[in-house]
Amino acid sequence: MKVGVHGLFARIHRAPLLEDVSFHLSQGELFGLVGPNGSGKSTLLRCLAGLRRPSSGRVLADGADLARLPARTRARRIALVEQHADTMDRLTVREAVELGRTPHLSPLRGWSAADAAAVEAALAAVEMADFAARHWHTLSGGEQQRVHIARALAQTPDLLLLDEPTNHLDIRHQLSLMALVRGLPITRVIALHDLNQAMACHRVAVLHRGRLAAVGPPGDVLAEDMLARVFGVAGSSREDPDGSRHLRFSHAL
Amino acid sequence: MTTAVVPSRMPRGSAICLAPLVLAAAVLAGTAIGETRLPLATVLRTLANHLWGAGYPVDGIEAGIVWSYRLPRAIVAACCGAGLALTGVVLQALLRNPLADPYLMGLSAGASTGAVLVTVAGVGGGAISMSLGALTGALVAFGCVVALARAVGGGAGGGRETQAAAAIILAGIAGSQLFNALTAFTIARSANAEQARGIMFWLMGNLSGIRWEDVAACTLVSLVGVGLCLWHRRGLDAFAFGADSAASLGVNVPVLRGTLVTATAIMVGVLVSKVGAIGFVGLVVPHAMRFLVGTRHDRLVPASALAGAVFLVAADVVSRVLVPGQVLPIGVVTALVGAPAFALILVRGARR
Ligand SMILES: Nc1ncnc2c1ncn2[C@@H]1O[C@H](COP(=O)(O)OP(=O)(O)OP(=O)(O)O)[C@@H](O)[C@H]1O
Ligand SMILES: [Mg+2]
Repeated sequence: MKVGVHGLFARIHRAPLLEDVSFHLSQGELFGLVGPNGSGKSTLLRCLAGLRRPSSGRVLADGADLARLPARTRARRIALVEQHADTMDRLTVREAVELGRTPHLSPLRGWSAADAAAVEAALAAVEMADFAARHWHTLSGGEQQRVHIARALAQTPDLLLLDEPTNHLDIRHQLSLMALVRGLPITRVIALHDLNQAMACHRVAVLHRGRLAAVGPPGDVLAEDMLARVFGVAGSSREDPDGSRHLRFSHAL
Repeated sequence: MTTAVVPSRMPRGSAICLAPLVLAAAVLAGTAIGETRLPLATVLRTLANHLWGAGYPVDGIEAGIVWSYRLPRAIVAACCGAGLALTGVVLQALLRNPLADPYLMGLSAGASTGAVLVTVAGVGGGAISMSLGALTGALVAFGCVVALARAVGGGAGGGRETQAAAAIILAGIAGSQLFNALTAFTIARSANAEQARGIMFWLMGNLSGIRWEDVAACTLVSLVGVGLCLWHRRGLDAFAFGADSAASLGVNVPVLRGTLVTATAIMVGVLVSKVGAIGFVGLVVPHAMRFLVGTRHDRLVPASALAGAVFLVAADVVSRVLVPGQVLPIGVVTALVGAPAFALILVRGARR
């Protein structure tokens, strides 16, 4: 999906959360969203998912204004993995993932083989197939996070929005999740705290107090002065022996 | 590995056939058992006479008890049980609160105010019945709670749908307190002891006044309620991870919540106006059914409606035969039976 964000403002009781955010995503792009705590990453993702109405500005999904799209049409094309989402219901892992098919079903159209296949594929993609019969509340935090991602994948979206998806994950699952996300052919926006993971994105946007500080390839954007000005850390980028770039941080400023 | 137990799944077809049979058996039991002992043959013959004009000779008084008193009473009890349990399912799912019950939106408080204004304070001058007063009161209270919830929830920011759910619960508490105070005020000012006792009995649930005229309205609202909840079963499922998650799964949260909360409020309003505020069914039956059939609403909605109906018919029978010569308020029975049953379910559920 192609996404156009045009002059987005969001505010709550007059306090601005986002100010004049504009950028474009091309089809199949992996777009990183970085910024310190409270800089507006989650707010921006909620606007992109159509969950929050911007106070002005527009989000265009393949040219269609997101605010005008019916919720079900929107959810068939855009999936969001929230930063926090928990339940007290005693549902199983499979049932949680099956929720991802909700926008594809209707009161009269029942569960089909295609729905079951999408659920199985999503469970396998996050390596949770063996856990399908387990109850949600018996899972560890990282396992729950992987189920959330499977639910979003089961939606078979054209645009996948991930809010700090590597939270709670052990290092192996962080790497395999990032590899999974990199391998998806769809447009992806991913909010991250680990700037080295952001180096794997095609482009990154740096949010600072609700404004876009920079947008561009990670190697150019995450430079020494940006790290100091926005994140308040001293750090620099090094070339690894294999040619990829890597950030080293020395201390907080 | 997979240690947690998945609720066993009954084949769908057999469940669909079984449900009406169970319900019919419960209603038949409700019709057959009572203070006056009647042989089952008399009951069956009376029913056959009325349903397809079989023409068996039966005693007129006994036939009257069966057909004019017990049967409508059992049917209305079943409708109330189904409607209250269903409302509990819907409110607990939509508001993400396990303590949500059918009277959350001020319905019982409003109904009591309406009933008291008509019977004690003489509003309407005898032209309107207590039941109509109760229905009006319930709906007025519901309107006040909704208006308050909108005023509180309006302008809320991030996680907006979640905040709206909290606003509804708080507004419901405030509205209930207000209308309960109005009821108490009216009783204190103008009721005598006899009237106050009558009102208290009615508030705890009273099916003794039920006749055939009440059956149509109760059946209609509960059938429409079941249909509407089944139609929106996937929307209700999608609330598992909260209202924001439901919105990201394509549920139009304000519309779905508005439709189902209003529909169930009208349903409960009608039921309360006929039989009073029977407690415990709407809170407990949904939780019990979640343990038995899981959290998916395609099973939970019919299972809760059926269980609520059977439970309330049974509670009505118990309330009539437990103390000889006296009919207990049915709310007392639902709580006496329901509380220990609920405790048992919780303990067993926690173990597995
Ligand atoms: N409902 C709200 N009321 C008041 N302030 C809010 C509300 N929602 C968000 N904010 C504020 O908006 C700002 C941006 O929040 P947001 O959640 O988008 O940050 P974030 O970049 O995702 O942060 P984090 O890295 O901690 O997840 C924060 O300062 C937050 O306090
Ligand atoms: Mg965030």
